[in-house]
Amino acid sequence: MTSQIEIQDLDFAVEGKQILHKINLSLAERRVGVVGRNGSGKSTLARLVSGLVAPTAGTVQVNGHNLAKDRRAALSEVGILFQNPEHQIIFPTVGEEIAFGLEQQGLGKAEAEGKMREVLTQFGLAHWHEAYVATLSQGQKHLVTLMSVVAMQPKLLVLDEPFAGLDIPTKAQLNRYLRLYHGSLLHITHDPTDLESYDTLVWIDQGRIQLAGPQGQVMGAYLEAMHSEGETDDLAHLTG
Amino acid sequence: MISLTSPVRTRAHRWPAGAKLAALAVATFVLFLVQDLLVLAVALGMTLGAYALPGGRFFRAGIVRLKVLWPFLAILGVWHIATATYAEGAEIILRLLTTVGLANLVTMTTALSEMITVIRWLATPLRRIGLNSRAMELAIALVIRILPKLIDNGQRLSDAWRARSPRRPGWRVVVPFTLLALDDADHLAEALRARGGFLEHTEN
Repeated sequence: MTSQIEIQDLDFAVEGKQILHKINLSLAERRVGVVGRNGSGKSTLARLVSGLVAPTAGTVQVNGHNLAKDRRAALSEVGILFQNPEHQIIFPTVGEEIAFGLEQQGLGKAEAEGKMREVLTQFGLAHWHEAYVATLSQGQKHLVTLMSVVAMQPKLLVLDEPFAGLDIPTKAQLNRYLRLYHGSLLHITHDPTDLESYDTLVWIDQGRIQLAGPQGQVMGAYLEAMHSEGETDDLAHLTG
Repeated sequence: MISLTSPVRTRAHRWPAGAKLAALAVATFVLFLVQDLLVLAVALGMTLGAYALPGGRFFRAGIVRLKVLWPFLAILGVWHIATATYAEGAEIILRLLTTVGLANLVTMTTALSEMITVIRWLATPLRRIGLNSRAMELAIALVIRILPKLIDNGQRLSDAWRARSPRRPGWRVVVPFTLLALDDADHLAEALRARGGFLEHTEN
């Protein structure tokens, strides 16, 4: 099951500040990575694809739906994992957090409860049902957000640097849990190791698409540019 | 995250939320009718006894949450001593402790989603006339959800202040505190939007 992401002439500005410029993308691969520096507009692209915000100009379609308008369709088309799980978790217990999305999709309370238990069992975490989110570690909170989104079975999962700042074992374990999700992935990151098995990469720089294409080609050019930019001192420059 | 949660699972967790809330309403109402100090003291004793039933951990967690009342109790105490109305003072303090204690007890033993279900049931007449009650259900849940987060923010700000100042943080953290709260509200709104926001579904 692969998702079709169609972006045409997309501009995005906040209070007159242009963040993305004339983005055109057509993606139909199962695993797509988006790379770029901090502040390049990657997260904004993730929010646009998920329909959390609408473009200033141009269109974004996922499997033919305009998700910023059609929020009901968005629930089954796309799920998103934020970088900070604290920003994503609404409810105090793991069970409630997972069941919430299912109820939002229109399932009755009992059905949502059953499905929630199913998902926890699928992840081998049936004993987490009544656990309080506040008592979980950072990695465990990430896992809760992953389960909550996977439970809703979206066709596309957008990962907005969800594993940044996690230690290597936690990251490896989360990646293994991520394999329990069978839809398409749009993974946003600045870390090349996250994207080793990905088919297609999109490199965004200063709000524009620098390069898009097969993994080998884009990653090589991206890394070369990143290393040479590391030699310069653009950290000192102020914009806007 | 939510602070009014129980550290242990109690038998009361399984009782229906509606029944607990109804019992709380009745108990609070009755407590306001009672003026006999002895009866009020017995009521407070019974409430504390209820806290002790699930064991020491639950009791301690409950008492910590009642401690936030002390400034109010202190003001009441000072006032009633100053006006020499000792009996009234004792009456109000006992009643306040008991009613808040009981309310905390219900909150600590009831899941947020069950509270929402009760609110949804209460809002049934509103839905009949075509209003979207989902927004109200979630709004109440979110208030309960975000309060502890705000306390947390305040704590972090004052830590950041104290890390670089010998004096205690004063009114100057109010503006950053407000901005942080707005920022959190933004994040919460986005989390909600990502999972459907206030979509109203047909009754199942």
